[in-house]
Amino acid sequence: MTDFKINHREGDGVSVIELKGYLDAHTAPQLENAFQTLLNSEKYNILVNCRDLSYISSAGLGVFMAYIEDVRKNHGDIKLTNLSARVYNVFDLLGFPLLYEIFKEEREAIGRFKVRPRS
Amino acid sequence: MSGLRKLAFVLFPTFFFIVVFFLDVVRGAVTVLDDGMDYVRGSFILLAFVMLFFYFRSSRRGRTENVVREIGKLLVATLFVLFVVLLGTMAPSVTFVERDFALVPANPLTILMANVASIAMGILAILLLLTIRGLILHKRKKGIRRNFLIYLVLMLASAAVALPVLIVEVGFIGSILFGLAILMTIVNSFKQNWIVYLSRREKIYGIIYSLALALLLIVLLAVVTNRGFPGKAISYFSDPLERFVVLNMIFGAVYFGMAFLSTLFHLPTADVFERKQSELSSLHSLSRLVTQVLDFSDLVRTVTQMTREVCGARSSWLELVKKPSKEQAIEFDVVATNNITTQDIDTILSVPESQIRSLILESRKVLLIDSVSEDRRTKHFKGRKLEIGSLLSIPLMSQQTLIGILHATSEEAYGFDRDDIDVMTTFADQVRIAIENAKLIAQSLERERYHQEILLAQQMQKKLLPQKLPTHPAFEVSAISEPSHEVGGDPYDFVELGDERIGVVIGDVSGKGISAAFYMAEMKGIFQALSKSAVTPRDFVLQANEALTDSLDRKTFVSLLYAVFDLKNSTATIARAGHCPVIHVRGAGHTFIRPGGLGLGLTKDDLFNRSTEELSISLLPGDACIFYTDGVTEVRSPSGEEFGVERLVKSIMDRKGAGAETIRERVWDNIRRFAGDENFEDDLTLVVVKWHGEAEMSDISRSARALSGDIRREIE
Repeated sequence: MTDFKINHREGDGVSVIELKGYLDAHTAPQLENAFQTLLNSEKYNILVNCRDLSYISSAGLGVFMAYIEDVRKNHGDIKLTNLSARVYNVFDLLGFPLLYEIFKEEREAIGRFKVRPRS
Repeated sequence: MSGLRKLAFVLFPTFFFIVVFFLDVVRGAVTVLDDGMDYVRGSFILLAFVMLFFYFRSSRRGRTENVVREIGKLLVATLFVLFVVLLGTMAPSVTFVERDFALVPANPLTILMANVASIAMGILAILLLLTIRGLILHKRKKGIRRNFLIYLVLMLASAAVALPVLIVEVGFIGSILFGLAILMTIVNSFKQNWIVYLSRREKIYGIIYSLALALLLIVLLAVVTNRGFPGKAISYFSDPLERFVVLNMIFGAVYFGMAFLSTLFHLPTADVFERKQSELSSLHSLSRLVTQVLDFSDLVRTVTQMTREVCGARSSWLELVKKPSKEQAIEFDVVATNNITTQDIDTILSVPESQIRSLILESRKVLLIDSVSEDRRTKHFKGRKLEIGSLLSIPLMSQQTLIGILHATSEEAYGFDRDDIDVMTTFADQVRIAIENAKLIAQSLERERYHQEILLAQQMQKKLLPQKLPTHPAFEVSAISEPSHEVGGDPYDFVELGDERIGVVIGDVSGKGISAAFYMAEMKGIFQALSKSAVTPRDFVLQANEALTDSLDRKTFVSLLYAVFDLKNSTATIARAGHCPVIHVRGAGHTFIRPGGLGLGLTKDDLFNRSTEELSISLLPGDACIFYTDGVTEVRSPSGEEFGVERLVKSIMDRKGAGAETIRERVWDNIRRFAGDENFEDDLTLVVVKWHGEAEMSDISRSARALSGDIRREIE
């Protein structure tokens, strides 16, 4: 019933993950896998583009919490861009904007990663 | 046939025969041939034999169980008839004289002897016909039945031709019918299916009886067809009867002659057949076992026992593949042995030089070692006292996976033949099904146990929700919580803080089901413990985060909202930890009370303390505060639309002047209607607080009490 897709691309030393559709308890493991794959290949600059993300549940938010600590320990970060008003509202209710940097556009976000791996 | 009818079917023929006898005596005395009398006589005889036929037929319904004994009885009957017939031959002064091409008995004694002999032969012919019919139709097939019927028709037609009613000369037709009937006796005589099912012992008796019977019948035939007394006697008594008797005796002689030969040829294979039968019955009892034995150890023990019975093995054992561990070599677990020690099994299979298991694993086919001492694959047996001549190992395959191996040994070399392998393969298939069934049953029992525990958890968890809502004239409350799974759910709770203050908490654990239920229980404890010591709602939230964070796993967090209603000062102080805001309704308007704050468990550092705020509102009589979890606004309609905050607010405003209960009911009805037949995807909780204030206290107190009574009943 729930449709969820993840697209992954690399650019400028930043791994961009594009989310599409419903992120809930059923689809959360897919995002977990995507994060785990990046961490395994030591990619810690992660930008999550939520342009086509239509819904996120608390289980979906949990995925971000599960990886942020490891990512930051390695001087990387998870940044979010292009949130729809509805998705932003869910993040905001829980206070996520205090924990994650959220940007309007990818362009703004890419410049804000601290460590730029030599590419 | 009823007893009375049976009696009639014996008495009437007896009466008819007596009448015929006296008729004959009278005729013999006056020596006048009267054609009219002939018809009466002929009809009496015909009727008598038809009745006797039905009498004998009714006494042998269904399939004869003991075939050989039937043949034996027939043999005795034949001997008796032969004796009666020969008695007439030997008796003095019993003779016929020929007059005008007709036979005339010399005296009444001749008539008596002739009649008795003829009736005896007629009855014997009936018995022969019925017995052969039973044997031929032992295994009923269309063709067999048809051939027998053809014989019957030809035989009866042949006899009918000789009836005195036929005036025209039909001798040649009679001969043709007679010839065809004999042809059919030969065709029918090939149907000897019953022999196959005889045991060896029965077959030996069958050979003796059939031969004796065939020979006796030939003697009888010779006697009857000769122009001696018996031939003349039956010819005199009734021509159709003579045909009937002769044809059926020929049938009997041919059929039992064939039976003798068939049985003789079947004798060498009697052992094989008997073994096949025991194999069949073993397989049958195993199939029954599949549905009966639920206990795994009972099952495997029975399997090894039956393996020995099925293929006459000296010993047998069953080993099953242990749960395949990743990438490692498959390990086996010997689950049952019969007449062999585990040391011997280890010697056969587990020593490094043994390739038996790996051969089966590779080929997934039956492995047969005909001669252990000569075979390369079992050279490691040498020098060990195993008393094994040959070894048969059958893989148990479930779809494409090997789940085990069934082994059987024989002390003789070449102890297993082609049949053993076939039977064992079939048997192994049954064993596989039985084992899988037993495992499935064990699994479903386990599942049932889990289900029971879940139900128990559900009951316990319901008790975690407040069993009794606070009652106060100024403060009316109504609440509902609906989990989406069997267990879990969003918690809410109330606490009397003293000094006319009431604390209300509502929360939401990320995730659902069992894990959420555990956190819910933990939150209940934290709330009851901290709410009384915390000075302000904000204080409570900070302490709750401190207490919860360490016990939550990284991806789990809790949102929570805590409000303290001060009944003396008519205020509500609210702190929020990432939870949905409170909807404060006053008159026709509403506001969202949303102090800043992070969800519990997201972070423990100073950021949490800095971001957690607290808001106070003053309350007027008629105000309402609505607490909810995101499950309420995220309820989906069948078309996928969300219920949303707007619909929630509208539902509340529809009943804004009413009591807490009515508002709660209105919202709940709208949600139910909106969701249609869809199940809730998330847990839902809704708490409605209606503020009556001190001004109307005396007025309201009665109804408030009544209402709270209603709520209590509902909760119970």
